[in-house]
Amino acid sequence: MDPQNLAYALVQLVHNFGAVAVVGGAVAARWLARDAPATQRRLAWLVLGGWLAQAASGASFGAVSHHFYGRFPDIHDLALIALGIKITCAASGALLTAAYLWRSANWPLALRAAIWKLLIALGATALTAAAFLRWFA
Amino acid sequence: MTNRIRPAALLALALAFPLAALAQEGSATISAPADGAKLQAAADNRVTYEIVPGPKGDHSHLYVDGKEAAVLRELKGSASLKTLAAGPHEICVKVVNKNHTPIGIEKCVKVTVE
Repeated sequence: MDPQNLAYALVQLVHNFGAVAVVGGAVAARWLARDAPATQRRLAWLVLGGWLAQAASGASFGAVSHHFYGRFPDIHDLALIALGIKITCAASGALLTAAYLWRSANWPLALRAAIWKLLIALGATALTAAAFLRWFA
Repeated sequence: MTNRIRPAALLALALAFPLAALAQEGSATISAPADGAKLQAAADNRVTYEIVPGPKGDHSHLYVDGKEAAVLRELKGSASLKTLAAGPHEICVKVVNKNHTPIGIEKCVKVTVE
């Protein structure tokens, strides 16, 4: 098995599960566990883990390229914008989820609901940007 | 009969081997413009290329003066160079992998736009 393809595949695996966690976790917390704060808190950990996995695996795509070829992927224009959006979403999503885990016990229900909506929007935006990054790079 | 076939088989193998090796390694060629060509700024200048991605490659990128200008999805074809300012330019076609990283297979030509 080619080690390079294996490395990319393992990074992709983490990236895919990270995407599932950030979107699925936020959707579940907003609609399926809206009256269960304890479950929402567990889902917040899942979402935080998802965003961190997204960030780490996203960076790893570049690291694998650098390891095997001594340079990072060549992307430009629209793909570069999409990458910027993804990074912004990951940073915002991780910070927001961390804040939720730290402070949400004192937050009103409406604010918690708004945060989950925002996390869903960030996840959906990152997934959309990923499609453009994939095909316009 | 067997003695006649054997040299022919060896010859066929010898001819086929470089092609097989090329496919294994990958390659990039630019058939137009030629290296050193002079182009007209007002013309619809295009680059005509062909790549063999090899086992590590996937598609190619077009670069003008080191800046990525287009993604080339086809293995063989042509792409517009868009507007080129007057002066010397370097045009490169680089084979990249699925992660859009150049894998070291490339062809570059230098042209002058008048």
